[in-house]
Amino acid sequence: MLIGTNLSKSYSSGKALNNVSIHISSGQICGLLGRNGAGKTTLFKILCGLVKPDEGKVVINSKRRKPIGGIIERPGLYDFLNAYDNIKIFAGIQGAPTDKTSIEQTLLKVGLPTDRKDPVKNFSLGMKQRLGIAVALINDPECLVLDEPFSGLDPIGVASLIGLIQTLAEKENIAILLSSHMMAEISKCCHFIYVIEKGEIVNSGITNVLINQHITTFSITASNIALSASLKNHAVEIGTNDAKIACTAKEIPALLSELLKEGIEVTACTPVLTLEQLIKKAI
Amino acid sequence: MKRLLSAEFLKLIKQSKTYYALGAILIIELLILMTAYFQGSTILDLLLDNLKQSFYFEGNLLNGNLIMYIVLNSLWFNVPLILMIVTSGIVTDEYRYGTMQTVMLQAVDKWKFMAAKYITAVLFTVVVIAFMMLTTFILAYSIFGRGDLVVYLNTLNFFEDADAFQRICYAFASGAVSMVFYCVVSLTLAIFIKEATKTWIAACLFLIITTMLLKVDFVLPVINNFFFPKLIDTWQQFFYNVPDWSAISINTIILILYTLVFAAAGTFIFHKKDIE
Repeated sequence: MLIGTNLSKSYSSGKALNNVSIHISSGQICGLLGRNGAGKTTLFKILCGLVKPDEGKVVINSKRRKPIGGIIERPGLYDFLNAYDNIKIFAGIQGAPTDKTSIEQTLLKVGLPTDRKDPVKNFSLGMKQRLGIAVALINDPECLVLDEPFSGLDPIGVASLIGLIQTLAEKENIAILLSSHMMAEISKCCHFIYVIEKGEIVNSGITNVLINQHITTFSITASNIALSASLKNHAVEIGTNDAKIACTAKEIPALLSELLKEGIEVTACTPVLTLEQLIKKAI
Repeated sequence: MKRLLSAEFLKLIKQSKTYYALGAILIIELLILMTAYFQGSTILDLLLDNLKQSFYFEGNLLNGNLIMYIVLNSLWFNVPLILMIVTSGIVTDEYRYGTMQTVMLQAVDKWKFMAAKYITAVLFTVVVIAFMMLTTFILAYSIFGRGDLVVYLNTLNFFEDADAFQRICYAFASGAVSMVFYCVVSLTLAIFIKEATKTWIAACLFLIITTMLLKVDFVLPVINNFFFPKLIDTWQQFFYNVPDWSAISINTIILILYTLVFAAAGTFIFHKKDIE
């Protein structure tokens, strides 16, 4: 369990965090949404103990040698070493096992191959993220913080990383906090969401509840959607294969059944919620 | 601490720039040897021209001992510069690769981590000086042979072969202490500055200023005797006819104290600073 209470931090450039409180339970994946410069990284550094807050405190209920692990901004790895040697160094300096079996198990846990001997500088960003997570998981921390883990990854990399994060929360019961400015990725894997803006938490809630509360637009994908008559009752923006419809979440089941009656072949219906909407509504 | 040290050594061994540093020192040695081989006799004849009119010189003065003394003189600038660049990288590279944050996110004590870096820098410096000494011995003796040493320090000082060899060994050991001081300073600068290029500039500036201050008369005897720029050339004192062992010992102890103060200051600052 990771708890940050009334955290504040100021730099010469201004206030980076103002009275921020955050709570993540074991096995929970928590998302921190915010624009660039909103204070996400500062909050992460404070939670990890890299930066001392001006006010407030961080409590991690853990008796383990390493209570918290994480990646902040980018996976910091020794580029000139291979994955095996990176794990060996990071495990060695904190007294974790450095035998071949343990290192290979750590690599396999995050889905990295054990037979790659080339330096990490040759790795894709996705592989570096995985190796960064492997390093963060050395010594079995109870909490994991991942700052912008999806940035720079292709859709396959994002999906794969989301799978890994979900596995770690479910199977290892780790409290995970991850940040992003990408709404879609966060909403896919987080149980709870905090929205941060100008150093303050401006919105928070269970992911589904928060989305339902703020959703005003849905994207419906169908090949012949432009022919629909029932859409005329709503404000619609028709695209090539989809339509963006302004309506509430409660109206969606009825709308979908009307479309099916009309013979419209719906293949997907997704809520369109932007970070700006979450921030604006809260402010 | 043992684990931190072995990790630091693994990093140092696996980095190509470690070998570039050793290569650079070898190139300096080879250049000195080549210059001495092709032009050494002419330069020596010019220097000793007047003396040769009054005295009879027996044996070859262009010998391994003289070459080693010339190589020793690279301890003024070339070698400390290379060492400062490499050792400051022990810290600046961690910031560059973002590994400083990763390490600080592990179960590692900040002060132990930095102490391990200082110890690694010191041991690396000693190994480099030992490498320099060994390669110079092998190359200089095998190419130029043995002989008496002539050194100009205020006046011409002559040392017999065995005595010269002993003095050179002492000078290398004393020089190693000076090099360790420079390396520890560069590591401390790296903690403050974090960025590699800026640290190199600061290290070069420190080296230049220290070398300049060496010749400045500060009037006050306490400064003239114990200010660190006045202590870095202690190795030269072995080439006076009668070495002042008391001054050499005091200088060495004070320089070691300065080194410890710089290392303690760096570790303290690192411990206090946030990892941004």
